Amino acid sequence: MSYAESLSLTLSEVILAAGALVLLLVAGWAGDKATRLISWIAVVLLAVAGLALLGPAGAAFGGQYQADSFAAFAKVLIYFAAGASILIAPRFFQLADGSHMGLRAEYPILILLACVGMGMMVSAGDLLSLYVGLELNSLAAYVLASFMRSDQRSAEAGLKYFVLGALASGILLYGISLVYGFTGTTAFDGIAKAYGDGVSMGELFGLVFVFAGLAFKVSAVPFHMWTPDVYEGAPTPVTTFFASAPKVAALCMAIRVAVVAMGPAAHQWQQIVIFAALASTILGGVAAINQTNIKRLLAYSSINNVGFALIGLAAGTQQGIAAVLTYLAVYVVMTIGSFVCVLQMRDAEGRPIEAISALAGLSRSRPGLSAAFAIFMFSLAGIPPLFGFWPKFLVFDAAVAVGLLPLAAVGIATSVIGAFYYIKIVKIIYFDEPGEEVFAANNNVVETGLMLLTALAVSPIGYLAIPVLGQLSDRAAGSLF
Amino acid sequence: MIQAFAFYLFATMLIASAVLVISARNPVHSVLWLILGFFNAAGLMLLLGAEFIAMLLVIVYVGAVAVLFLFVVMMLDIDFAELRAGFVRYLPFGLLLAMVLAVEMIFAVGAWKAGSLEMAQRLVPIPSDVPNIEAIGDLLYTRYLYVFEGAGLVLLVALIGAIVLTHRARGGIRPQNISEQVKRRPQDATRNIDQPVGQGVEL
Amino acid sequence: MIQLIVFLPLLAAIVAGLGNRTIGNVPAKLVTTGALFASCALSWPIFISFLTGGAHAHVVPVLDFIRSGDLSVDWSLRVDTLTSVMLVVVTTVSALVHLYSWGYMSEDDSQPRFFAYLSLFTFAMLMLVTSDNLVQMFFGWEGVGLASYLLIGFWYKKPSASAAAIKAFVVNRVGDFGFSLGIFGTFLVFGTVSIPAILAASPDMAGSTIGFLGARFDVMTLLCLLLFIGAMGKSAQLGLHTWLPDAMEGPTPVSALIHAATMVTAGVFMVCRLSPMFETSETAQHVVTYVGAATALFAATVGTTQFDIKRVIAYSTCSQLGYMFFAAGVGAYNAAMFHLFTHAFFKALLFLGAGSVIHAMHHEQDMRYYGGLRKHIPLTFWAMMAGTLAITGVGVLGVFGFAGFYSKDAIIEATFASGSESGGIAFAVAVFAALLTSFYSWRLVFLTFYGKPRWEQSEHIQHAVHDAHGHDHDDHAHAAHGHDAHDEHDHAHGSVSDGTAGYHPHESPWPMLLPLAVLTIGAIAAGYVFHTPFLDAEHGAAFWQGSLAFDAHLMHAMHEVPMWVKMSASAVMLTGFVIAWFAYVRSPGIPAAFVSQFRILHDFLYRKWYFDELYDVIFVKPAFAIGRFLWKRGDEGTIDRFGPNGVAALVVSGSRLAGRLQSGYVYSYALVMLLGLAAAATWAMVG
Repeated sequence: MSYAESLSLTLSEVILAAGALVLLLVAGWAGDKATRLISWIAVVLLAVAGLALLGPAGAAFGGQYQADSFAAFAKVLIYFAAGASILIAPRFFQLADGSHMGLRAEYPILILLACVGMGMMVSAGDLLSLYVGLELNSLAAYVLASFMRSDQRSAEAGLKYFVLGALASGILLYGISLVYGFTGTTAFDGIAKAYGDGVSMGELFGLVFVFAGLAFKVSAVPFHMWTPDVYEGAPTPVTTFFASAPKVAALCMAIRVAVVAMGPAAHQWQQIVIFAALASTILGGVAAINQTNIKRLLAYSSINNVGFALIGLAAGTQQGIAAVLTYLAVYVVMTIGSFVCVLQMRDAEGRPIEAISALAGLSRSRPGLSAAFAIFMFSLAGIPPLFGFWPKFLVFDAAVAVGLLPLAAVGIATSVIGAFYYIKIVKIIYFDEPGEEVFAANNNVVETGLMLLTALAVSPIGYLAIPVLGQLSDRAAGSLF
Repeated sequence: MIQAFAFYLFATMLIASAVLVISARNPVHSVLWLILGFFNAAGLMLLLGAEFIAMLLVIVYVGAVAVLFLFVVMMLDIDFAELRAGFVRYLPFGLLLAMVLAVEMIFAVGAWKAGSLEMAQRLVPIPSDVPNIEAIGDLLYTRYLYVFEGAGLVLLVALIGAIVLTHRARGGIRPQNISEQVKRRPQDATRNIDQPVGQGVEL
Repeated sequence: MIQLIVFLPLLAAIVAGLGNRTIGNVPAKLVTTGALFASCALSWPIFISFLTGGAHAHVVPVLDFIRSGDLSVDWSLRVDTLTSVMLVVVTTVSALVHLYSWGYMSEDDSQPRFFAYLSLFTFAMLMLVTSDNLVQMFFGWEGVGLASYLLIGFWYKKPSASAAAIKAFVVNRVGDFGFSLGIFGTFLVFGTVSIPAILAASPDMAGSTIGFLGARFDVMTLLCLLLFIGAMGKSAQLGLHTWLPDAMEGPTPVSALIHAATMVTAGVFMVCRLSPMFETSETAQHVVTYVGAATALFAATVGTTQFDIKRVIAYSTCSQLGYMFFAAGVGAYNAAMFHLFTHAFFKALLFLGAGSVIHAMHHEQDMRYYGGLRKHIPLTFWAMMAGTLAITGVGVLGVFGFAGFYSKDAIIEATFASGSESGGIAFAVAVFAALLTSFYSWRLVFLTFYGKPRWEQSEHIQHAVHDAHGHDHDDHAHAAHGHDAHDEHDHAHGSVSDGTAGYHPHESPWPMLLPLAVLTIGAIAAGYVFHTPFLDAEHGAAFWQGSLAFDAHLMHAMHEVPMWVKMSASAVMLTGFVIAWFAYVRSPGIPAAFVSQFRILHDFLYRKWYFDELYDVIFVKPAFAIGRFLWKRGDEGTIDRFGPNGVAALVVSGSRLAGRLQSGYVYSYALVMLLGLAAAATWAMVG
């Protein structure tokens, strides 16, 4: 296969990388004045890259890059989440901090480059490309986390993320080198062949370390500790990004590694995934209860949700993987929606408010926002008829189908715990006496539009999408088996 | 025989210096131990027949990176004692953990001994007729072009990140604006004033 | 047509119930009463066509109900002779009671609700009697139970009414449990719940055994007894009868409709419907006979001592139901059905008459405070008289008799003719109970309508008299009457001794009198007109068309019984009348003397054989104790403590722990990560 063909298969990454470079030049020339223009161009680039996914499927660069419908499904979610994170940023940064003259142009560019990295992750057919993609995404993420560098919490979040991320990278790299050492290859198909011949102790250790490294990326317990601090400290648009796109990328990457590369060792990794799923759902549910900061609460919620998604992976069947993909699609929409709602929590000067107690009696002053909040919370809690129920049902169904009844049972029990804190927010919004805080009115078309769109998608109307979503996710999962 | 001796020497030294890097009280000492570690690693590479990487280690890591570290460490004004206090507190538990890991490593190595290295699956057999440097170059720009480009992007992001996080647009300075200066015309710069007597000049 | 009969009442109930206050009293009453009269008008032709032999049994399917594996249940309406008898009974009495309620409930402030309940009850009862399978029958069974609960507790602000409603519901649960076990068992044994299929298969099953509760039982005996437990609950047979007297807390029309004419006879109907099943088990038949006889005796004895007019009639109902059951027990199912038929008329008449009396006496129900009402409410008196003549079975053999004469005598003769030991006992009980029936029925009449007024001791009457001023102002319809009462009241200060306390009972309005008139006709003529098709050996077989186990042999034997048997009923009836006349008209001191002489016996009867007290000690108190134990120790102490509350506490403390772990130090975060890694590695190595 010639390089031209290979490049054409990686068209979406090429578009994003080249676009990011051009935009970097534009930013260098025009300065921060052009941020708005660059943001919009970046969103357009993401859309174009998304269209490019319609191109042919195949393996590029000798199997290091896999262009298949699984990768395409994940990338659509990633690009959507990235686009949303870019769109909601300018206003936040303009209002959040007086010392900043609005958003700097590097923000959309970094997100674009992170998307390139995430694209590499989900398309990786080789541990090398996986690691490079992961690092590309991570480095961009570290910078984004401390993007409001004058804000102490933001800087701290970035540093923590960096240190722990480096540790996780080290673990992953060590696992990769073990795998390479014992199997003699970094290509997924070669690894699968080696694992198929029986799993030696060294290969087992490699597997454990690789999964530990991946678990950090998806913030599964016990590699989740960074999540609440980073989510809380990072600027809200960045948190939105963290909670959505990299989660999808890391989970999909983990799925590909688990199913394609280490499929023959399914029995071994299944134990780890089951443990991580259980621990994540339980801790994500339990620890969120005492939180007073809405972003921290949503961080635990994301841990909880990752646990549910991992239940589908633990099933390890095509049905399970398809369920995870559906879960991710709905999760991304719910997450973006709820963070856009959080963005609306601004005081009169536009400074962000993050205390949950500030939401008290919101229904009286902002009925629309309150309704959106309620929809997202109920949906996250997985209460029918909202759409958040459906993917949860799918993953439990997949788990039950392979006989993981206790896992599904615990999952359902923890979703009850989760329902408590989600519904508590609704209770605070609708039934508590209003406090002194008055939120500034929202007059931003983009944010309102996003909120409306995502709220509609997770409302019962979303069930109309089940046939399409089910077919797409099934096809995507099918491309791995 | 001599190879085995060298290997164990380099390996022991490498591990010892790595331990000393993190345990030395003086950060400058740490960097020095690090340099020693790099040297030993280079020696290991040599034993493997990867002389190019060995040289890279010496030139890039020892020559550039470690020296840079040294400068940075010496320039930073950090209260290292306080920083380490936290570390010491966690040391016993960390050690216990390390021991567990170490024991497991030994098991792993034992297993490795028992099993066979699947060399047949190696993507790239070690070429005997091509020099190291040529072989690496060949791989980097052909088979691993994709990863190589990706690594380039990683570096770019690191660059952008460094600038974003450290660059500050300082206010109050007056940089040159050449095009403005060239476009300047006399009528923009001067004006005639019929100044009445006994009144201040209005600027 | 049958669909209309069944579903019109439902429709009316929905309209009146959901419309409630928005559509107002009169439309609600019009809709429900109209629907019932329409149903009634449609029912009679069906019955008559069966009577003339022009119709045949058929099933009208309505909807699928359940399809699950072997179980298939349909909504379908079965029309045969047995159903047609029940149809006319239910719709006629129900229609009349609806009409009667216009008058009786005219001052109530939630009439639409009342009428909706009544119609709902009628619908459920019709579902019950038209069911073609046991599941639909159970639906109707529970439906009438629900309506009964709602109607007994209709005046829900009255604590005693609420308690009575709950009691009726709970006691019926016991029976329903047996019934449902019977249905399950039937499905287990026969693999179907379709009644015709079960009946067809029953004879083959006779003699086989089944394991139940660790022992082996005869299949048919076990099933019949389980089903009979259901019948006992619904028909207030001894043991499960305690709810019926208390159910008199409901409005009197309800008592007439549900607790006399229709619902309580559902048990009898069920036994007759399943009579081929019961025929296969002699043991079950004996049990039915003994239980029926015991109930008849028990209720009749208790009835002689009660003072509440409605309770007397309630115990009388209980006793008559006992008659029906032992008739069924000895195999005279048609006699049981005939008694059910006639009883519906005269018992509804008695209840509605009692309602009229109560209405006249300003809601006083204690007969001790009645007396001398014959002249004040003559129409009610004559209606009650007809009812009493009917229930006591007055008649001249071969010439003419009131309704009860034919049906009750038929039962007495059938028990004798059956020739079995249980039949003999039943015969003795039946004759003695007939004596008691005559006594308490005439006692009721004499206490109420004869003698001197004893109204002044009644609090209700005193209220009425003192509130007369109030009536003057807020009730225009009663203005004249209130004025009268006022005058009388003034006058009464002078002559208290006449016992009226200055109160003037007034005859009920025509909506109440018209049903009385119709039912009077029924009480007088129903027996005479219909006894041939119901009872006669030849005509009966043609009439019943196999819808119940018709024993022509027994019917023949009935006619052949000795003359003294035939006359025994009339003789004891006369005896009872004479005793009552002596005790309550001739020399009213006798009862008091009797009571003081036989205090223990009287208390025993007055206290209803101490059943309530017994149940209180055996069931209620232990149940409360167990309930309290399970609530405090079991529920709160164990399940709540370790369940919801425990888990909640665990979650909260876990949350706190997780919060403490989240220290914010990178060191500890890294430590947790490495811990997890080490754990995973160890797990992988060991596992």
